[in-house]
Amino acid sequence: MRRPLTRRAFLTLAGAAALAPSAALAAAETVPKDRRRMLQVNGYATDAESPLDALTTYITPNDLFFVRQHWNPMYPDARRWALIVDGEVSAPMQMTLADLKKLPRAEATCVLQCAGNGRGLFRPPIPGVQWRYGAVGNARWTGVRVRDVLEKAGLKSSAKHLHTFGSDKPPVRVPPFHRSLELDKALQDAIIAWEMNGVPLPALHGAPARLVVPGWAGDHWMKWLTRISAQPEPQTGFYMETAYRFPETPGEPGAPVPPEKTRSLTQISVKSNITEAPASVKVRTRATIRGFAFSGAPDIARVEVSEDGGANWMEATLDPRHDPYAWRLWSLPWAPKSAGTVTLLSRATDSQGSTQPRDPVWNPSGYLYNGWHSVQVEVTA
Amino acid sequence: MRVWRGGAAWLATGAIAAALLLGSSAAAAKSPKKKPRSKAGAAADFDVKLPVLGTKLQEFPPGPGKAVADQACLQCHSASMVLQQRLTEKQWTASLEKMIRWGAAVSADRKDELLAYLVANFGPENERFEPLVTRPVGK
Repeated sequence: MRRPLTRRAFLTLAGAAALAPSAALAAAETVPKDRRRMLQVNGYATDAESPLDALTTYITPNDLFFVRQHWNPMYPDARRWALIVDGEVSAPMQMTLADLKKLPRAEATCVLQCAGNGRGLFRPPIPGVQWRYGAVGNARWTGVRVRDVLEKAGLKSSAKHLHTFGSDKPPVRVPPFHRSLELDKALQDAIIAWEMNGVPLPALHGAPARLVVPGWAGDHWMKWLTRISAQPEPQTGFYMETAYRFPETPGEPGAPVPPEKTRSLTQISVKSNITEAPASVKVRTRATIRGFAFSGAPDIARVEVSEDGGANWMEATLDPRHDPYAWRLWSLPWAPKSAGTVTLLSRATDSQGSTQPRDPVWNPSGYLYNGWHSVQVEVTA
Repeated sequence: MRVWRGGAAWLATGAIAAALLLGSSAAAAKSPKKKPRSKAGAAADFDVKLPVLGTKLQEFPPGPGKAVADQACLQCHSASMVLQQRLTEKQWTASLEKMIRWGAAVSADRKDELLAYLVANFGPENERFEPLVTRPVGK
């Protein structure tokens, strides 16, 4: 199933190598063997996050990419699979993978983050998978634009929302994972993807095809996609009306938020993480701090690191590689001035001026944690 | 459709993960660009002592109510989902009601026993959970 590097991929890699400002950045592009592992937080359904020290490359390898399942999936049979396209269209269709591949090829390199990434860091605690840092990754997704598929089916102006369905079925009386997103966003840049990082989409990541919604949280990225339906109204049900909602205005941590004071969760929040920092370092010796930063805005403008609790900030160097809604790798040479335990903090600012806050917006479902990331370093005399 | 449901579904999940890993090794072995391997896993780019994702499961701690938890919770998800929670009695009451509404197999006369077990073991101070370190998940 795996293919040799395509010419385009080779040129991309070669270009990236030429652009890399230092050998150090280029050297960071392979994940060492001892970091190539996953952190299983649920045995079945399968949920696993990537350790932060494995998230050091611009493209997250497929086998180190976080896995999220609501329940044990029912994978579609790729040989019989066809995407249903219906609703407010003049010509409802069923499109096989071969049909889809006849449309213009579309590609996006962007971040996929689980809406609940960081839930385990909220206080007071919130029920659900206690993700910490690694339910996020950056990949190259290839497929076809949702816009091209809907236009082929004769999209009507009455359509305002895109309802999405996958093949996974819940156990017992658990509500089905039926979702929708605003049609404007779907038409703007959403992709029906069948490749992830140049190989066929792995089963765990939604084969044969999944939705890719750049800049928006993972709940919109329907895996094992079976049907898209253009509709005048949003989808209803538990996963629209109760789950994946965010307070309209921040409240006190732990305070309940009535449903009418919530909105549908869409864009991810600006965030940075430290992926590499020494556990200990000698005073006045240079070490390199590295990490990634991303946002629901198309680009990251700045990443800063503080060694004094946020009173002063040092600006990190951004890696030149970038695509809209992709993450930015960053690095900062740092020489501690005095011995003792130092807490390093990181914060990012995106291209629309939003800055990662010290404290995230606490919300009853634990979505979009984006407080400053802190790492402790022992500085020896 | 491959349909997996019920309490032993993790076996199937593990089997698929294993198949993915084996599949990727097999593909690599066929490629002339890769170094030949004397035996499977010898040249693995990860620690082969690590378990395959989804094949090793954590268990509920012993105590009154464990049997009810095993029966009610493990039908749909592994014990880890519960082991990692740090909830107040109020939160556990709401979670349990939701799970019963969604089909958790717990009879009315065992519900209080289950609630007491959850509150006693997985309260706000619960520090027992560590994610299980596993292999990369297959390409």
